[in-house]
Amino acid sequence: MKKRILIIEDEKALRETLEDYLREDGFDVKIAMDGEIGMNLIKEEEFDLIVLDIILPKKDGFKILEEVKEDEKRKNIPVIILTNLESVEDIQKAFERGVTNYLVKSDHSLIEVSEKIKKILKI
Amino acid sequence: MKFINDLNLRKQAENLGVKIWQTPGFLFIILGLVAAIIMAATYFISKNYDSPQVLVISESIVATVILAVGSSIINLFEQVARINKMKSEFVSVASHQLRTPISAIKWSAELLLEKYNKGLSKKQISDVKNIFDLVCKMNRLVSDLLDVTRIDQNRMIFRKKKFDFKKIVKETINESSILAEKRNIEVNASFKKEMSLGFGDPDKIKLVVENLLSNAIKYTPSGGKVDIRLFEKDHFFVFEIKDTGVGIPEEQLKRVFEKFFRSDNAARYQTKGTGLGLYIAKNIIEQSGGKIWFNSIEDIGSVFSFSLPCHNGKMAEIMKA
Repeated sequence: MKKRILIIEDEKALRETLEDYLREDGFDVKIAMDGEIGMNLIKEEEFDLIVLDIILPKKDGFKILEEVKEDEKRKNIPVIILTNLESVEDIQKAFERGVTNYLVKSDHSLIEVSEKIKKILKI
Repeated sequence: MKFINDLNLRKQAENLGVKIWQTPGFLFIILGLVAAIIMAATYFISKNYDSPQVLVISESIVATVILAVGSSIINLFEQVARINKMKSEFVSVASHQLRTPISAIKWSAELLLEKYNKGLSKKQISDVKNIFDLVCKMNRLVSDLLDVTRIDQNRMIFRKKKFDFKKIVKETINESSILAEKRNIEVNASFKKEMSLGFGDPDKIKLVVENLLSNAIKYTPSGGKVDIRLFEKDHFFVFEIKDTGVGIPEEQLKRVFEKFFRSDNAARYQTKGTGLGLYIAKNIIEQSGGKIWFNSIEDIGSVFSFSLPCHNGKMAEIMKA
């Protein structure tokens, strides 16, 4: 059974490269280009892991994180924040809301992101 | 000598990037002139008039003049400070905006190289590799610029935790082995078997080690040697890196840790380089409770060293507080 991953990211090039890379690495990948579409997908479908940007149109990443963690049925889905914001306040805010990992885009290559995901999903 | 230099307004204005009438030297002269005029006026008035009205009026005129000159000096300073702040804000915003496109280019090149390289010719692969390497450099430059603006605005944030310093040094040596091999530089390292843990921000300390090591490799001619030592002394680590590189000319030794400084021979030897690495390193080490220093002789080589608190020492206790 392929693991299902949802990527919520508004920047087209970043979304597509990450999507292709993870698909090549054997994941079943679904994408959303804004927060609202992303949140709807989370409610309608089942995912093993969510990759989430912070700055997003319509609904930001923190709001989505909160909604996922408040939802009894979905609060155990691991969420990785993938962003270029790197202030301590943002990182703290994310961990307080129960994020599993916080990655800064510029500091990570695709292979590193993929490996972190595999580690969380114990693949 | 310093005084004469302070009075060379044109040079000062050039160095500071401000107009001549905004230089501290100019303001200093104005202040002196005001003081002299006030003294002369007081002397003149007290000699020629002895009615209290004249004294009160002249004193209030003097007070007004001092206030006016003082406030215009303060205004000038404020303006200079504001421009300076705007400059670093500009760098900060511009760098931040660059990060997303840079990440996207980097990831696209990586995807092409790692997953979609079937059917690409050797030449095409080597071209994409060039794109990848260059965009990584650009990424590093942008990170450095962001670090510099954070240092300048006092916004650099340090995590405080225990970490394995020896492991960081070993990792960094491994990661730069390709560069060292390519440039035919032998890198040796010696450690004690049992070492304490460090205390501070491991990522930032790693950045410093990376910086010093890549400098040592970059500025050492082919066939040269780089020796790394890590030891403990009085609850401090001492990291020492010695190269047989181009060294730093004596007259420029004082400027090594300045922002954007590159020594003449270093710039000749390696055209690439921003002069930000050691500036950032010095700030990180000092903020982490350590010190950084060096010895260098041109054409013989350099030894860069820094100290860093061990987690069980007094300095770490002070930093924890």
